[in-house]
Amino acid sequence: MNAMLAPFCCDREAPPRDALSAREVLAVEDVRKTFEEGSQKVEVLRGVSLAVDQGEVVALEGPSGSGKTTLLSIMGCILTPSAGRIRIAGREVSGDEAALRDVRKRSIGFVFQQYNLFPALTALENVEYALNVKGVRGRGANAEAARVLDLVGLGDRKRFLPRDLSGGQKQRVAIARALAGSPEVLLADEPTANLDTAVGTQILELFQKLAKEENKGLVIVTHDPKVRNVADRVVGIRDGRLSDPTEH
Amino acid sequence: MVSLARKNLLHDRLRFVITVAGVAFAVTLVLVQVGLFLGLLGKATVTIENSSADIWVTSRETPNVDFAHSFPETTVLRVRGVAGVEKADNAIVQFMNIMLPSGAEEGCLVYGLEDFSAWNLPWDVESGDPTELRRGDFILMDRSAERRFGPFQVGDYREILGHRFRIIGATRGAASFTTAPVVFMDFRRAQGLQQTVHNRTSYILVKVAPGHDAAQVAERIRAVTPYNDVYTRAEWAARSRNYWVVSTGLGMNMGITVFLGILVGIVVVAQTLYTSAVEHVKEFGTVKAIGGSNWDIYRILGEQALIAAVVGYAIGAAMSFGMRPLLAQLHLNVLVSPQFAATVFAGTVLMCLGAAMLSFKRVAGIDPALVFRA
Repeated sequence: MNAMLAPFCCDREAPPRDALSAREVLAVEDVRKTFEEGSQKVEVLRGVSLAVDQGEVVALEGPSGSGKTTLLSIMGCILTPSAGRIRIAGREVSGDEAALRDVRKRSIGFVFQQYNLFPALTALENVEYALNVKGVRGRGANAEAARVLDLVGLGDRKRFLPRDLSGGQKQRVAIARALAGSPEVLLADEPTANLDTAVGTQILELFQKLAKEENKGLVIVTHDPKVRNVADRVVGIRDGRLSDPTEH
Repeated sequence: MVSLARKNLLHDRLRFVITVAGVAFAVTLVLVQVGLFLGLLGKATVTIENSSADIWVTSRETPNVDFAHSFPETTVLRVRGVAGVEKADNAIVQFMNIMLPSGAEEGCLVYGLEDFSAWNLPWDVESGDPTELRRGDFILMDRSAERRFGPFQVGDYREILGHRFRIIGATRGAASFTTAPVVFMDFRRAQGLQQTVHNRTSYILVKVAPGHDAAQVAERIRAVTPYNDVYTRAEWAARSRNYWVVSTGLGMNMGITVFLGILVGIVVVAQTLYTSAVEHVKEFGTVKAIGGSNWDIYRILGEQALIAAVVGYAIGAAMSFGMRPLLAQLHLNVLVSPQFAATVFAGTVLMCLGAAMLSFKRVAGIDPALVFRA
C-alpha cells in the first residue's frame, strides 16, 4: 500500500492501491512551501505527500490558514514549491513559468469558488476561449465547447451571458471550462461555497459523475461536509501537514 | 476564435464610448487643424504649383513668391542661352494699391507676364481670355477678391496705382498667402505702373527642354546668374512654404496643436485602458491560471487599443470631412491628402498602442493565484 495515502482514507471502501497506482494522474511528494513576509519566513506546507488516481475524487479539508489553497496552487502549477516533487500525468513537473504554464494548459482544469467566468462572454464563448488559450482554435474549439456544455447539462444555455445564469449554472459553465481540452486533473476550490444546499449537491454529484466517466483525477478543497458524500477519500490538512480529517 | 478584447470593450459600452470619443477628438483636432494649416500653406505656393515653370530665377534672398524684389530684366537673355532651357520669360509679382468704387484703397498682388498661356497662368479662368491682356489696359481679377473688394462684374473698371484698368475676365483659385487678391495684367503695363520695376523683373520663369533634368539646368543657370537665386519648382515651393511656417510661428503653433491632440488621445486611451485593466485583473488572473501568458493579456489590451484606434479614427475622419463644407463657407480650406490621412491613421494606431503599453506593467505582475481569493 502506498504509505503516503494510507492514514487518510475515508470510511468508503477504497480499491486496492497497487491497482490504482498505475492510474496515478497527480502526485506531490514531500512538498514544502515557505513564504517570506518581511524578515520573517512562514512555512505554509511542511512536507505534504498526496497522490490522486484517474477517476478518483479526493476531498481536501482543513481550517483557514491550514495551507490547503497553497497546496492546491502547487498541484495546479500556479505556485512552485520550496522543496519536494510534483508529478502530473506521469511527468515530473519542473522548470520555469513557461513550463508550468504548459502543464496548466495541457493537464489541469480549474473550478473556482467565484466561478471566475468572463462576464462579457456567453457560456459557449467562455469555454471556447479557454480552449483558444490552450491552443485549440476554430471549429474544433467550438464543437468541443458545445460538447462539454452538453455534458454538464447546459446545452440549452450556450448563448447565455453569465449574468443571465443562476449560481449553479455558472458553476456548471466553470466545470465545462475546466473539462475542455481533456485535462487529466481537475482542481476545485470551494466549488459549492456560493450555492444553496440543493444546487451544491447537484454540482457535487455532477463532479463525481464526470470524474468517473471522463476518468479525471479530482481534488476538491472544501469546508462543505456534503463533499464527503461524493469523495473516494477525504484528506485533512492542518498547519501545513496532512492530518486525519476526523480531527477537524 | 473568441475575442475577449472586443467582447470586453463592447460589454462596457460607456467606457468604450469615452475611449473612442477621446481618439476621435484627437483625430479631428489633428486632421482639421493641420488640414487648415496645409490649406493655408497651399495658398503660399498655389501659383508655383500651377504654373508650368520648371525653374524660377529670383533676386537674391527672396523669401517667398509673394515678397519679390526686382533685378534687371535683361538677365533673361543670359538664361535663354543656357543649354536645356526651352523657354524663359520675365514675370512681375508686385503688391500694388487698387482703388475700390467705395473710394477705399486696398492692396492687391499683380502678376504681370507677356504670354500667360505659355505658363498656364492663370490656370482656372472663369471668363475672359488672358491673351487679350496685352491688347490694352485690361486685367483679370480673381473671384476671391470679392470678399475684400466687394462684387465685381466683367466690364467694370478699377484704378491700380492711379491707372484705370478694365476687368475683362475673372479667375478662380488664384490667391496669395497674405490674402491680397491676385490681379493678372500685361507685363509691360505692370512694369510701367511702378518706378521700382522699370526695366526690371521680379522673376524669370524657365521651362526645361524635353530630355533635360531640371536640377542640372538650374545648376547651369546659377553659373550664368551669379547675383540671383535659382530654384527648381519643388525647391521654390518649399522655400515659400518654409518662410511662412518658420517666420510666422505657424509651424510651432501647429506643432503644439498636434502635440496637444496626441496628448489628449494618449491620456484618454491610457486612462480608460488602465482602469479597464485594473477592473479586469481577476479575469486576467484567470487567463493566466488556465494557461495564458502575459503575451495573451498584452494581446487583449493591444487589440482593444487597436479597435479604439480604428473606430476613433473613422469617426474623427468622418467628422473632419463633415466639417469641410462648413469651413469652406468661411473660406477656409481643409487640405487632407490621402498620404496625410494615412499618416494620421498610422499615428493614431501608434498612439493607442503606446497608451495600451502603459497598462502592460500592471498586468505583467498579476499573480494567477489570486483566482483562489474570494
